[in-house]
Amino acid sequence: MDVIIEQYFDLDIISDNFSVVLDGFWQTLLLSAIGGALSLTWGLILALLRQTPGRAGAPIRGLAIAYIDTFRGIPMLLILLLVSGSLGAFAAEGTLPQSIGIPRWFGKPDPFWYGIMAITITYGAYMAEVYRAGIEAVPGGQMEAARSLGMSYRQSMRQVIVPQAVSKVIPPLLNDFIALMKDTSLVSVIGFVEVVQAGRDIQSETFNSSALTLGAIFFLIVTIPLARVVDRLIARQQERTSRTGGGAGPAPTPSPATAGPTGGPV
Amino acid sequence: MADAMLQLEGVTKSFGELEVLRGIDLEVAKGEVVCVLGPSGSGKSTMLRCINMLEPPDDGQIYLEGTDICKQGGKGESGWDVDYVRRRVGMVFQQFNLFPHKSAIENVALAQRTVLRRGQGEARTKAAALLKRVGLADKLEEYPERLSGGQQQRVAIARALAMDPHVMLFDEVTSALDPELIKEVLDVMRELADEGMTMVVVTHEMGFASDVGDQVVFMDGGVIVEQGKPKDVLESPKEERTKRFLGLVLEH
Repeated sequence: MDVIIEQYFDLDIISDNFSVVLDGFWQTLLLSAIGGALSLTWGLILALLRQTPGRAGAPIRGLAIAYIDTFRGIPMLLILLLVSGSLGAFAAEGTLPQSIGIPRWFGKPDPFWYGIMAITITYGAYMAEVYRAGIEAVPGGQMEAARSLGMSYRQSMRQVIVPQAVSKVIPPLLNDFIALMKDTSLVSVIGFVEVVQAGRDIQSETFNSSALTLGAIFFLIVTIPLARVVDRLIARQQERTSRTGGGAGPAPTPSPATAGPTGGPV
Repeated sequence: MADAMLQLEGVTKSFGELEVLRGIDLEVAKGEVVCVLGPSGSGKSTMLRCINMLEPPDDGQIYLEGTDICKQGGKGESGWDVDYVRRRVGMVFQQFNLFPHKSAIENVALAQRTVLRRGQGEARTKAAALLKRVGLADKLEEYPERLSGGQQQRVAIARALAMDPHVMLFDEVTSALDPELIKEVLDVMRELADEGMTMVVVTHEMGFASDVGDQVVFMDGGVIVEQGKPKDVLESPKEERTKRFLGLVLEH
């Protein structure tokens, strides 16, 4: 028993390395915040492209569907390796300018930005599907009413459909964000020190896992409250739905804060 | 006819194999109220939806104030001058279709701002005046979920009126309402008719049709079976199908 406690909860190791692990977690938070914001935006754009109306919109719809299917179907780790391996090579060949092939924007190293790209590419596809569920859950009469007032398709989407769709899917989007946050640890594979890598480095120096435990605790401090927020939002939506007796949102999913190894939605 | 607001000539519409409209001819004079009756599935709603191009007709002509709104013909929305039509034709739906994320006054102001490019102040002033006119002066900032069905439908009427339409289409606007709420909506429509609004009203309210209608149209199986003065059609129908329908409706 003592051996276990010492292996995972060695207070000396935790206090000695607290600031290193906290620095790592700060990088995790940065990856999550920037990657999350970009994924939310890119996902909405993809969802709208997927809904392009009419016969003329068919090629755009097709491309959007192909993109979403492709990047939901590939592990993010693979995307990360593809991005980080090839962009640098293109820059070296001169196919891409140095500033894009080896991005060092805002003083952050290139693995950080490769990570942001991989997160956005992958989670944009996941979130596009969430937005799509929201858009499809808005009753058809809403678009008809907007169009019958003379509003264009774009105006109707912007003013009437998207605001309703987004408010319906905030809980599942938050769920995806929790999964995204956990997946940022993959960026350690290309040499970026975030919280998991920081803990691993300490583990290999000390043969003790307590720094990783500390990292896990940092994660839980953020993800558990987020999961509670999701639950509360879902409860509120259900209350609303049962009161107005209609206009139900897409089926809410339980929070994946405690889901599988990488927690990615499938 | 010089003062025709709306003319339909040989309008047809199919959904796949199903022929919903099989050649509709109809003329609506300026200021006239036409009430459309008929069993469900007779094509009444589809006719209205063709008039404002929510469902573009397959064939035939529709003239709005003398202008052929199906200029280029052919199927598909791109062939039709959709904006021209919708800015002149207001529509009210059975299910109200208010925007649930906007208050009553914002519901009425939204399209004024986006379509007519009215400023926020002007749009809201007009919206407030219209909501007052439909008896909802005290509900301006209320959200749809907190309004009764009758109140929601009156907001929807105000919303359509805000675009200064030349014709108003009503698609079974009282069918989803509790009986005690029907009158408040019909009263608003009656006032509109008195003020000279041109209206095409699909309804099951026989009382409204006979009191307010200048013309009653009976549709069945995608064609107009009989039309004329309310008194003639409702009290002494000539066609067998009309008689049967009215018999069934008036029985209870």
